[in-house]
Amino acid sequence: MTGLASPRTRATNRAVILIVALLALVICVSLWGLSVGAVAIPVDVIVNTLFNLDGEQQTYIIMKSRLPRMVLALLAGGALALSGAIIQAVIRNPLASPNVIGINSGAALFALGMVLLFPAIPQVWMPLAACLGGLCAAGFVMLVAHYRSLSAVHLALIGVAVGFVFESGVDYLLITSNDSESSAPMIWLTGSLWGRTWSHVGISWIPMIALSGVALILSYRLDLIALGEATATGLGLNVPRQRLIMLFVATMLASVAVAVVGVMGFIGLMAPHIARRLVGGSHRLMLPVSMLVGMLLVVLADGIGRAIAPPIEISAGILAALIGAPFFIYIMLTTASEQEP
Amino acid sequence: MPLAFRFTLLAAAVLFAALLSLTIGQRSDVGITNVLQLLFVNDGSLARSAVVDLRLPRMLVAGLVGINLALAGLALQAVTRNPLASESVLGINQGAALGVALGLVIPGLIGVNLDVMAIIGAVLAGVVTFSIAGGLGGRLDSMRLILAGVTVGAFSFAFVRFTFTLEDNLSRLVLSWTSADISSARFDQALPLVFWAAGGFLVSIFMAHSFNILALGDGASQGLGVDPRRARFIGAMLAAVLTGASVAAAGPVMFVGLVMPHLCRLWFGPNHRVLVPAVALGGAGLVLTADVVSKLVRFPYETPLGIICALIGAPYFLYATLRAKNMA
Repeated sequence: MTGLASPRTRATNRAVILIVALLALVICVSLWGLSVGAVAIPVDVIVNTLFNLDGEQQTYIIMKSRLPRMVLALLAGGALALSGAIIQAVIRNPLASPNVIGINSGAALFALGMVLLFPAIPQVWMPLAACLGGLCAAGFVMLVAHYRSLSAVHLALIGVAVGFVFESGVDYLLITSNDSESSAPMIWLTGSLWGRTWSHVGISWIPMIALSGVALILSYRLDLIALGEATATGLGLNVPRQRLIMLFVATMLASVAVAVVGVMGFIGLMAPHIARRLVGGSHRLMLPVSMLVGMLLVVLADGIGRAIAPPIEISAGILAALIGAPFFIYIMLTTASEQEP
Repeated sequence: MPLAFRFTLLAAAVLFAALLSLTIGQRSDVGITNVLQLLFVNDGSLARSAVVDLRLPRMLVAGLVGINLALAGLALQAVTRNPLASESVLGINQGAALGVALGLVIPGLIGVNLDVMAIIGAVLAGVVTFSIAGGLGGRLDSMRLILAGVTVGAFSFAFVRFTFTLEDNLSRLVLSWTSADISSARFDQALPLVFWAAGGFLVSIFMAHSFNILALGDGASQGLGVDPRRARFIGAMLAAVLTGASVAAAGPVMFVGLVMPHLCRLWFGPNHRVLVPAVALGGAGLVLTADVVSKLVRFPYETPLGIICALIGAPYFLYATLRAKNMA
């Protein structure tokens, strides 16, 4: 008797089914991602290798090369999507993304600066430098927002401006350096999972999972912020402070992700949109679904990038942009009338 | 200060910057005292050849690109009624860059005029940005406009950067071009720019009255006999074409279209009939100055023009956003 079920249970059931379906999809796509590349590996061999079953195994390629980048793709996809969802909620605009706060540009400048200006520092530290840069950019935006209580529009604009400042620094560094050293950061700038190892996973998984947990626990605050500043304040929420806290979490998430996989701007923009279409605006559901969608997108982009023309790889960030841009334009055009204030 | 005096001052500054741009370089036998003589008297020396064949076209390209971009920025700010709009913020500059990059790497498109590719890219980027922001007809939402512009710009530049990774030789070419390196500019790049700048200036003067009325709001402009949709369309197209032409000639020079109209509005007031010539002069002066700086900053090496403009313009943009009072 489905007619007797309360709307709430039905909505929850639907969400549970959706999340389970998404999880299954993520697992399937990940398996596919493990199988494609310069050497095609059948799925049963992958399963044998992963669970150490009897039969043919391909330990070296899978465990040393493809599995770490798959894990990183999952982690980074989830982190970027979550970060984007939070930033969209805080700025209360569906066009916002980690890019808009200048996080990507800041991370790019610091990582590039480290590689080009201090070549003595081993490349392993590049993620840390990127993280610092992202925090620097977003920190400036948050500082300004803190001292001059600003509207969301103004916040976004300042973020854009800060991004441009860092971007000009990136260009300066790229141009004034000699080319042999700049090609690695250049590929990194387009957002690629090429050549990632377990050491990248090792330095990033703890902060990513911890921050994701914090974000999911605090998600109800985003629902309050979504009600509007006046209502949220009336309900006892210190809106400027909560904005800062949530922005800080989002910045850390995006910076760690950018640090390990490079600049992948469109994931943080697209995933929350898809999630909102699937489960609506309640952040309690929307955030986990965004994470799953983000994982799906990054794994898919990485897999396609390796599958198109092996052994050449196309950066996952480029493919994400290629898939994301038409989608984004479609979404924006169809929602333009609704969002007019 | 009377208006005529302000214009004279600005023109003198532009002339001085142009002279410096001709004078400064790696040759020690060209100085501020003999540069004019070298320019007008053909004595057959190497110095004369350096000034006339290398530095003169470069100076012309810098000045004309400055005029085009500043006029484009002015038109965009009038059309959007937002003092922070400009071709680089709205993604039009980057769209033009994408057009040129595609023209350089896609085999079927090689040979297509790069001017055309850049203009197509600029127009497409502009159309996408404006449609996302609410269309040319309806009310433009400034928040959406800027966020959409940034996204379109980021997307275009992601592709331009991607072309770097395709091939090493190409990467150097595209990189030097996206940073607007005009050190190898020749007369055949400067000549079409003369045409575009003159046309752009005439259209801007012609549209100045409409731009003034557009600032009063849609209702008022309709009442005063100016169709706001038509004025916006012409303004946006003008901006896209001027940007495309400059990007094809020199590469994407950022923020000139933002800085110059902003500064000129402070100095010359909001009337577009005065602003159009002022902004054109100022734009030329700004890029010429940036060209001089680009030769000096790491002397004897050169730093590309686009980098200098970005290093000047991006902090100015930040300053302008911090100063701006209400944004909505």
